[in-house]
Amino acid sequence: MIQSIIKRDGRVVLYDQNKIAGAILKSLEVSGDGNAADAARVANDVQRELENRFPKEAPNIEAIQDTVEKQLMNHGFNNAAKAYILYRANRTRAREANTVLMKTIDEITNIDARISDMKRDNANIDGNTAMGSMLQIGAAGAKAYNEMYLLRPEHAKAYREGDIHIHDFDFYSLTTTCCQIDILKLFHGGFSTGHGYLREPQSIQSYAALAAIALQSNQNDQHGGQSIPNFDYAMAEGVAKTYRKAFTRRVRDAVEDYLDLDDESESISAIIAEAEKTTGETAKLESAPAFIDAIAAGLCGKYGISDEMARKLINRASLRSAHKTDRDTKQAMEGLVHNLNTMHSRAGAQTPFSSINYGTDTTPEGRMVIRNILLALEAGLGHGETCIFPIHIFKVKEGINYNESDPNYDLFRLSMRVSAKRLFPNYTFLDSPFNLQYYVPGRPETEVATMGCRTRVMGNVYDPSRQIAYSRGNLSFTSINLPRIAIESKGDEKVFYEKLQAMLELVAQQMLDRFEIQADKHIYNYPFLMGQGIWLDSDKLTMQDDLREVLKHGTLSIGFIGLAETLTALYGQHHGASEEIQKKGLEIIGYMRDYCDRKSQELKMNITLLGTPAEGLSGRFIRMDQKRYGRIPGVTDREYYTNSFHIPVWQPISVYDKIRLEAPYHALCNAGHISYVELDGDTAHNVEAFESVVRCMHDFGVGYGSINHPVDRDPVCGYVGIIGDVCPRCGRREGEEIPFERVEELRRLYPEMPAFQGIE
Amino acid sequence: MTIKSTNEKMGQGVGFERIRRITGYLVGTMDKWNDAKRAEERDRVKHGLSKDA
Repeated sequence: MIQSIIKRDGRVVLYDQNKIAGAILKSLEVSGDGNAADAARVANDVQRELENRFPKEAPNIEAIQDTVEKQLMNHGFNNAAKAYILYRANRTRAREANTVLMKTIDEITNIDARISDMKRDNANIDGNTAMGSMLQIGAAGAKAYNEMYLLRPEHAKAYREGDIHIHDFDFYSLTTTCCQIDILKLFHGGFSTGHGYLREPQSIQSYAALAAIALQSNQNDQHGGQSIPNFDYAMAEGVAKTYRKAFTRRVRDAVEDYLDLDDESESISAIIAEAEKTTGETAKLESAPAFIDAIAAGLCGKYGISDEMARKLINRASLRSAHKTDRDTKQAMEGLVHNLNTMHSRAGAQTPFSSINYGTDTTPEGRMVIRNILLALEAGLGHGETCIFPIHIFKVKEGINYNESDPNYDLFRLSMRVSAKRLFPNYTFLDSPFNLQYYVPGRPETEVATMGCRTRVMGNVYDPSRQIAYSRGNLSFTSINLPRIAIESKGDEKVFYEKLQAMLELVAQQMLDRFEIQADKHIYNYPFLMGQGIWLDSDKLTMQDDLREVLKHGTLSIGFIGLAETLTALYGQHHGASEEIQKKGLEIIGYMRDYCDRKSQELKMNITLLGTPAEGLSGRFIRMDQKRYGRIPGVTDREYYTNSFHIPVWQPISVYDKIRLEAPYHALCNAGHISYVELDGDTAHNVEAFESVVRCMHDFGVGYGSINHPVDRDPVCGYVGIIGDVCPRCGRREGEEIPFERVEELRRLYPEMPAFQGIE
Repeated sequence: MTIKSTNEKMGQGVGFERIRRITGYLVGTMDKWNDAKRAEERDRVKHGLSKDA
């Protein structure tokens, strides 16, 4: 006679046959196999078997459940047995998920982020702050739920075991990745942030301030980054508005001063309005001669002054207006940079993950914007710190800024001086064939723009008439553990491609499943992104429409990391070591791209290939692979897999060869790519050398590139540059103190030294 | 950043900030990098400008 049973946690409780019968009945009902009487019969047999197997001791839960399974099958209730097994498996998964979840939350709560690697998974979230921890706890809960309830078992397995990585998995059921925000379209007519309505801006200061607010607002509707593809073109409009207002005032002042009059506001406004009406022009940094003529004529007529004097007054007003506009633009750009490095988003855990693209607007207003944003970046923050956000992206284009005779060549040069000091801007190359094919002069929306660390959206299979950068972005991306496929193939190329094909299919299906969740959402789920018409065609939707069709302008991207380790596992060498292996590398990535293109055509959706920005992933895959396969030389013997298609960071190679070898992969990875080279500090600060590297990228057809060099800062003396063990300015080592008089002495030598806070 | 100072000296315990590109964006000081990315940064070698460097 069974009297008691042992629960999973070891507690002993009274045996209750009704509970067993109840569970059996549920399985019979779900499968339609039987009724309560059947359940009672099976339960009786379960009890009999348990009594035989456990004559003295109490049975445990697992043994009871095994017996139930067996007896269901003995009675021929095979479907009910299956339902019962599934129910058990799900309960186990849930129980384990709960345990893992609680342990994760425990780590988030109790362990310092400096010790907990998990809390530094994304370097942009400060896991030590209250809101950062809250975000991480929320993410952990969402991940546990998504894996349990939303993933197909085969996808859950591939994700859990590290065959694939589903990026931003915590947001699986919630939103999409990113969008290129056409800020001009947003500004025209004003917009709502979701918390309040803002009128159309009327000066460069408000253009810049509202641009920051737009990035901040969008950051809360998506899980990735926010970008402005047309920063120079958009801000130029604000510069023009500031200039136009300044011009009216300065002409008035000049006339009042010269003729000793009190208030000529009305008359001057009338003269300028008349000139605007007759010429169809407005005051600009370089006003049309006809417009100046019309104002001169107006001033002569109204005040009886000579044409020569009228022009003198206008000229003075123009110069002063230009100065004022330049000052305002400088302040606006400094304000923007400060805002984007300090303003909060996502419950205060992050600053907006922002990017701005510029470099190709050749109007005087656009040039003023580009120059001042670069100068603001160069100056740094309040204590001279290097700005982390926004990411600056300089668009390089022949005929516009690439050659010495081009109108914006001076700004290209300035950008390199700044990048040599501050690591930004990065460079995107519009002349590379895969970018040039979309480029239409005079239509900035056809200029490729980059989002965040690399995302690129340009081609559009869903709507080939809209192959533009604006108002589009990535929906989701999932990366393949390429080295594992190579290891599992044991040097057999044919097996490798078979496995790769299967993995591509699996990932595509998983992203399409995710798309189904995304497609069911509505405008009201994204009050800014969709509610304000930022996403392409979202302004045509009603509250009842789902987002399926408009989302098809976006991309689903298959990513990969560790091409170098993949090649080593397959062929014994990576692509930086042999030209022959480089060919093999291009074959693999070309195969993946072909798959994406075929799938795109089949679905009429944008399936694209991404050179994944491996941050958290660089360590995740390899840790699992080391456990499975041990340390394979050149494959799993480091702490990270190499980023996307990069030549390994530890490989000695020239700038020229690194760029030459990586450039062809840019053409294949149409969802995004980046190459960087590492320069030492002295080389980086030589603008000629720096320019030769950027030109090398351009000439080899790189899509997006940047140049790395050490940027260190000593907070005590404010030195920015390269610091080895000893600060070259104040001579202290890390953590050492220096005499106060020494700081005073340095401050006399370096007047720009920051004034420290908190000195008692 | 608060830099504590005694009457005569300042800077005790204050480290240097080292800003590096993590994947395409920058991270202000490397304290926030995860272990794998720190190892990757440590292993990075400089690239020479001459073609046969």
